[in-house]
Amino acid sequence: MENAQLISLSRQIALQRQMDVVANNLANINTTGFKGETILFEDYLMPGAADEAFLDGDRDLHFVQDWGTMHNMESGGIQQTGNQLDVALEGTGFLVVQGPNGEAYTKNGSLQIDATGTLVDIGGNPVLSDLGPITFEPSETSITIGKNGAIFTNEGAKGHLRLAEFANVGELQKAGDNLFTGTNPQPAVATTVVQGAIEHSNVTGVTEIATMIRVQRAYQTLATIVQQQEDVRRTAINRLGDLNA
Amino acid sequence: MKALYIASTGMAAQERNVEVISNNIANMRTTGFKRQRVEFQDLLYQAYRRAGAQTSDQATQVPVGVEVGSGVRAAATPRIMSQGNIDQTEKELDLAIRGEGFFMVKLPDGRTGYTRDGSFERDSTGLLVNVNGYQIQPGITIPDNANSISISADGLVQAFIGTDTAPTQLGQLQLARFVNKAGLESVGDNNYIETAGSGAPQVGLPNGDGMGNLLQGYLEGSNVNPVTEIADLIAAQRAYEMNARVITGADEMLQATSQMR
Repeated sequence: MENAQLISLSRQIALQRQMDVVANNLANINTTGFKGETILFEDYLMPGAADEAFLDGDRDLHFVQDWGTMHNMESGGIQQTGNQLDVALEGTGFLVVQGPNGEAYTKNGSLQIDATGTLVDIGGNPVLSDLGPITFEPSETSITIGKNGAIFTNEGAKGHLRLAEFANVGELQKAGDNLFTGTNPQPAVATTVVQGAIEHSNVTGVTEIATMIRVQRAYQTLATIVQQQEDVRRTAINRLGDLNA
Repeated sequence: MKALYIASTGMAAQERNVEVISNNIANMRTTGFKRQRVEFQDLLYQAYRRAGAQTSDQATQVPVGVEVGSGVRAAATPRIMSQGNIDQTEKELDLAIRGEGFFMVKLPDGRTGYTRDGSFERDSTGLLVNVNGYQIQPGITIPDNANSISISADGLVQAFIGTDTAPTQLGQLQLARFVNKAGLESVGDNNYIETAGSGAPQVGLPNGDGMGNLLQGYLEGSNVNPVTEIADLIAAQRAYEMNARVITGADEMLQATSQMR
């Protein structure tokens, strides 16, 4: 009798979590290099009572559980900024930065130069080239970054931006601050660096709002179902408990 | 349900975004103004199910985990230090810098202010000052009877004194540049001051060491592009509305919860 209610509740809990994911996507709709998340659900099949022992075996009960959040790795739009330290990455590659807890990967190419002349991301983590962190001397001007990540200044070549890609982007974890962490980075092969542009968040407002409305309606429907189940039970108790019946 | 709080971080961030955009637009006609941009970062993620966790004794693993973020924050407002337009003014003490350098002025509190605003004037004692009366560094005095002041591309200030036929050298302008210009702190009045993030200034003559050269009779306009700003404003406004919509949505879900019996 309570199964219908419990299953509804499992779905409601999952929907709440989906709402959180949608809210986080929408909150980051203007975050440079942000990749949206999609939550995936699967059913959890309740183990039935020993079959064949009963005339009519237990019905299968499927509860809902969340199973994973997928990073949507589609490219966000690329916007020209004209800033020489902005880079956008076209393709599956990530910039590699030296975070406090080891290497981290990011699509946010809004780079800065810190007080020591080191090229850093917006969080101050050094951006790595094939030769380690990139440092510019005070006298160096007109920084250009080529399509393959090669960095030049008026004083010559400064190495290549290190670009990493991953066989399974699902294993990447978001660490906040636009950073991903992961293992087994491979050198990116087909990624183009565009200087003077940044990559927008790939969250599309329409899709997220539509998802949100669906979540909201499903949630309300379930609330109604729970209530109706309650009514059914109440009626049953009243009828069965009525001595005059 | 975190959605309420997540959406509120989104609204707060977009509010900051609109503030910065409106400041850019307000300073569209400010000499030497450099536009700012807000950079956002996502906040920490809560992992409900971790990728790579074992799912059975057969060493099968979770391929993708469940991670729910907690919103967004405005992480930085870097100034975009690109060159502004150079407008001709034909005023002999107007200077524009083509390149990376900054003029140095002495702020009333004794610190040195760095500025791209090159609209200078003479004060009552003949000192070269900016529009607030702050002295340019190193100081240059222009005598009363000087005429036809000329300032060369490399900062040499010359004038004809009285009825002289040969020009007299009055001083040499210097410029400063920084490793990290975006790390300068804005103190208003078109001035910046150095910070630990910007590094110490390197002072030098115009035209050398990537300082940029001077143009007499021109001023550098702001580098604000109204089209970009309006487009950014629209995007920020819509993002704000969508986050507000999430709050309504989450509220309705909570209402449905509270009405359950």
